[in-house]
Amino acid sequence: MVTATQETTTLPVAPVATARRRRIRRGHLPLALLMITPAVIGFLVFFAYPTVQGVYYSFTDFHVLSAPNWVGLDNFRELLADDVFWRSLWVTVYFVLLSVFFGIVISLITAVIMHRLTRSTVIRGLILLPFLISGVVAAMTWSWMMDPGLGIINSLLVELTGHPLLFFGDSSLAVPSLAAISVWKSMGYNAILIFAGLQTIPGTIYEAGRVDGATEFQMFRRLTVPLLRNILVMVVILTVIGSFQVFDIVQVTTKGGPQNASLVLQMYIYNKAFTQFDFGYAATMSLALFAMLIAITFTQLKMTRAGESDLN
Amino acid sequence: MRKLLAAALASASVVALSACGSSGSGASSGTINWWTWDDKQAAAYQSCATAFEKANPGVTVKISQYAVDSYFTKLTAGFVAGDAPDAFQNSVQFFQAYASQHQLLPLDDLISKNNFDLKKFSVGVDAWKFTDGKQYALPLDWAASAIYYNTDAITKAGYTPADVANLNWNPDNGGTFDKMVAHLTVDASGKRGDEPGFDKSKVATYGMGQLAAKDFIGQTTWNSFVSTTGWRQGDKNQWPTKFNYDDPNFVKTMKYVKSLTDRGFAPKINTFSAGEGTATISDVDLMGTNKIAMETAGSWEAATFAKLPGVKVGIAPTVEGPDGKTRSDMSNSNGNNIWAGTKNPDLTWKWVSYMGSQECQATAGASGSFFPSIPAAMDSAAAAVGKQGVDLSVFTKALKDGSLYGAPAYANGADLQQTLEPLFEAYFSGSRGDDVFAEMTTKAQTILNKKG
Repeated sequence: MVTATQETTTLPVAPVATARRRRIRRGHLPLALLMITPAVIGFLVFFAYPTVQGVYYSFTDFHVLSAPNWVGLDNFRELLADDVFWRSLWVTVYFVLLSVFFGIVISLITAVIMHRLTRSTVIRGLILLPFLISGVVAAMTWSWMMDPGLGIINSLLVELTGHPLLFFGDSSLAVPSLAAISVWKSMGYNAILIFAGLQTIPGTIYEAGRVDGATEFQMFRRLTVPLLRNILVMVVILTVIGSFQVFDIVQVTTKGGPQNASLVLQMYIYNKAFTQFDFGYAATMSLALFAMLIAITFTQLKMTRAGESDLN
Repeated sequence: MRKLLAAALASASVVALSACGSSGSGASSGTINWWTWDDKQAAAYQSCATAFEKANPGVTVKISQYAVDSYFTKLTAGFVAGDAPDAFQNSVQFFQAYASQHQLLPLDDLISKNNFDLKKFSVGVDAWKFTDGKQYALPLDWAASAIYYNTDAITKAGYTPADVANLNWNPDNGGTFDKMVAHLTVDASGKRGDEPGFDKSKVATYGMGQLAAKDFIGQTTWNSFVSTTGWRQGDKNQWPTKFNYDDPNFVKTMKYVKSLTDRGFAPKINTFSAGEGTATISDVDLMGTNKIAMETAGSWEAATFAKLPGVKVGIAPTVEGPDGKTRSDMSNSNGNNIWAGTKNPDLTWKWVSYMGSQECQATAGASGSFFPSIPAAMDSAAAAVGKQGVDLSVFTKALKDGSLYGAPAYANGADLQQTLEPLFEAYFSGSRGDDVFAEMTTKAQTILNKKG
């Protein structure tokens, strides 16, 4: 009975409220538009326009200093026949595989250890430090440390083995060395993201696990990892995209050498555009990279059901 | 907040002031921007700029220097944005790219209008003639290479400077050059390269510095060797359609160069650099720290070698070839270009032609950071540098005895570099065999004939 009276009293109020809200919303529309204008202008000027322009250039022969000249699919034909492009694509994939695999494994282990042992903000801050250092500075510092003649790492290696390693001068070591720098740099950030994810997992689940007699490793494999899926998917996707776009550390350390062993796609695109002034072909390669990244991201999202969570 | 405002006001007034400054520019006054990638030359030419400003009241010459890694990118960005410098130092490698896209001002009209005499330059004029037959630059300098050696290392091994100056070489057994390099190489236990028990995996001092270089012209490395066999880079010197990498003499020379590293007498490629972006130890420092006893290096390093503390470095001419008498080395000249988009071509020409005068060349050349292309200026520069204890007689002699030949001008330099360097690296690191030379030849041919 009480509920009935409540309903009768509240019912007439509801339409009024929604109407007013709608009115308010409509009244706020100009202001809202005004507020998002800077972002939209930024998007149009710095993303939409260059993207459209880039797609156009990829069908032209364009050398910056003279007007672009439409060549249809010529650049795409050149792309299919260009060994260096395919090789640099493979180099990029190799770099991505190394940095994603080792990056995720190391960040996950770090995050779990942090979660289990310490809540100290100081340690969390320290772990995040490499991420805050600019890529160029990190690459410079590492290349000095890995220097065959002067580097501290090679001084130690000479003490231990008698021979220095040409980290950036040996074609089989160049990409792993670059991946190591990249992992070192992004590891802290990923660990913090995963750490945040760990904190959302209720302690009761682990209690239940312990009651059922699960070992620490079993709990990690069967409880932690599945429940972290959302965060892990995000971290993997971010790392894949970030690694595909690697440029700064390559430009600072190897410039793509030796023997093109570390010529990642971005580096090759940069060389074509900014040293050979072949902007048309460089735009074609960028477009190919863009298409690949979209395809990879969608596949990952689909395959890993990133939108769902096992916690609900 | 108030501080911020004050700063904003201050910077606004600076902008206003500088706007005032440039508004008074006319035909005979204004600012000329000149760019170079060499910090030492920027300092050397500053003395010319001061004299030029004094002689031309109201004119300011602004010299800017940018590291060579980013120099050409910045220059291109300047062309696109319309704010490139009025005139600039340029390398032959980028000549064709800029000239074919109409970024360089042909100088012929200015030269004839002002009765400027191109004959006063003894080297480098032809390198700056484009395929259209026009002259696009005045040569800024010339450079060659020589053998630099650590005098102590030579004496200790029982040689005299005269022995180094009379080295002969051939691609088959390396001649007296090979014997000296082997003897100068010392391993960690003190054994010399030509003694039994020499351990090539633990070399303390290499007899020769890096010859196995990825540079596709071999300037300052293998060029002065292979040139003595009569080999030349292109089928013709200006705008070649083919590079002669498949020539038997070239292939034999590369094999010889590689054999030096295989035997431990010269460092393997990339031994002394962390990567391509950072050559952490310069060749001058390698000699200073006794890592190498002898090397071929550019003439522009003569002053730096002479100033090495604690090491006395001698300079000898490049090797004599298989016939026992011919020396041959490529000389290369940077150019002084005027940007086609300059707002003040006449005033810029005035500065560029002043830089090409004997007066300026002799003053700036006295720093030893470059060699003037005008013989008289070269002599006075050599004399000035000689007073500081640097003996340039090897180079002045080479300029006169005809052992120098001009570096080729060729198309699509950046593309050639990025395509050929990995192949040279592959050969010298041992991951590719002799088949690489045929590939180099075909690839170079395709790129040389590509329309940019």
